[in-house]
Amino acid sequence: MNCPESRRIQTYLDGETVDIDATEQHLASCRDCAELRDQLLGLRAGIHAEADYYRADAVLRGRISAALDREDHKRLSFGMFSRQFWAGTAGGALATVCAGLLAAFLFLPPLSDQLTDDVLTAHLRSLMPGHLVDVASGNHHTVKPWFAGRTDVSPPVAEFTREGYTLIGGRTDIVDGRRAAVTIYRHGAHIINVFAWPADDKRLPSVVSRNGYHLVFWKSGNVAFCAASDTALDELLALTRLLNAMATPDSRE
Amino acid sequence: MPHLDAAYNLARWLTRSPTEADDIVQDAMLRAFGAFDSFRGGDVKPWLLTIVRNCHRTALSQRRRRNFVPLPETEENGPEALISADDPELLAIGADNARKLGHAIAQLPHEYREVLVLREMEDMPYRDIASVTAVPIGTVMSRLARARAALKERWLNDVEGVCSELP
Repeated sequence: MNCPESRRIQTYLDGETVDIDATEQHLASCRDCAELRDQLLGLRAGIHAEADYYRADAVLRGRISAALDREDHKRLSFGMFSRQFWAGTAGGALATVCAGLLAAFLFLPPLSDQLTDDVLTAHLRSLMPGHLVDVASGNHHTVKPWFAGRTDVSPPVAEFTREGYTLIGGRTDIVDGRRAAVTIYRHGAHIINVFAWPADDKRLPSVVSRNGYHLVFWKSGNVAFCAASDTALDELLALTRLLNAMATPDSRE
Repeated sequence: MPHLDAAYNLARWLTRSPTEADDIVQDAMLRAFGAFDSFRGGDVKPWLLTIVRNCHRTALSQRRRRNFVPLPETEENGPEALISADDPELLAIGADNARKLGHAIAQLPHEYREVLVLREMEDMPYRDIASVTAVPIGTVMSRLARARAALKERWLNDVEGVCSELP
């Protein structure tokens, strides 16, 4: 391989050549370089075929999530994260963009953890004796008006008795520092709490499973929802589909 | 966690060991999480892979301090000298990476292996590879060329070897 142009072949194949036409003209006339091109292309195909691309397995993913969770809680409890975050926001657009990018690309689960904690805690507390309902009724004409004046949203409420989700009442709760409307359904032996509160710009997690409970988050119009239960995930998702199919709720703000 | 596969693949090819790769990726993700200040916008992937590579180097130097392993001196030798078969670490890879080209890549010295993995498996541009490996673009290009020359040699020889066995 003595052609002085041979160095250009690698950059050409790596998509880093500016003068593609000149390289291709040279390749058409130089047998050495054409041979080198074929060998390098063959090598590339060989690498894709024979060298493993290793992927992180579920065990490692779980390990890292757990470690990030621990780290996140440590930071939150020392107030470091929020200080840094707010200082960055005040400091200028760059830091905000960086934090936002990081949140979007890397750290989404830890950032939404607070919300997950809120909802899970509220759900668990509701299951303690005497805490489940503020208004016990299987009639949406009773439950829905009851929310007026007590919460900031008016979520869809309906009896899905035929589909196996029995309305048993309503309750108010605090989620994300807001007054949330909670609609309670019974599905078989399981209780399902459907939380609704005014949405802000915060990203919601989609599905979180923790301690045997599933939390399904979604947004409809300007209302954020979370259905929480220990029932099977697909049965919880079926209820969210039923609720979603109803008219868009109004936030009272 | 996007780019976690890229982080793991790089760690795995650098360490050539699944357990070490696990530790390095976990360490790197935690450092990334704690390093808001060092991220100055732009593409997350090269930034994260830089952290992975630094974690690997730290782990390597800690191990060297405990148990001296000489650095390979390869820059002056011919391309085929990049691949030596008597590396004891490689016996461990043999089992799960028996295919020849993968084995040959695993035998390349670190600095050649990392540019090759970033280029051929992650499809990264020279500029990003240069920033991850902390060398000028010219060095990335020459290391890539030497890594490819060494692998090409090995790969062509294997193909010929197979052909000559045919009647």
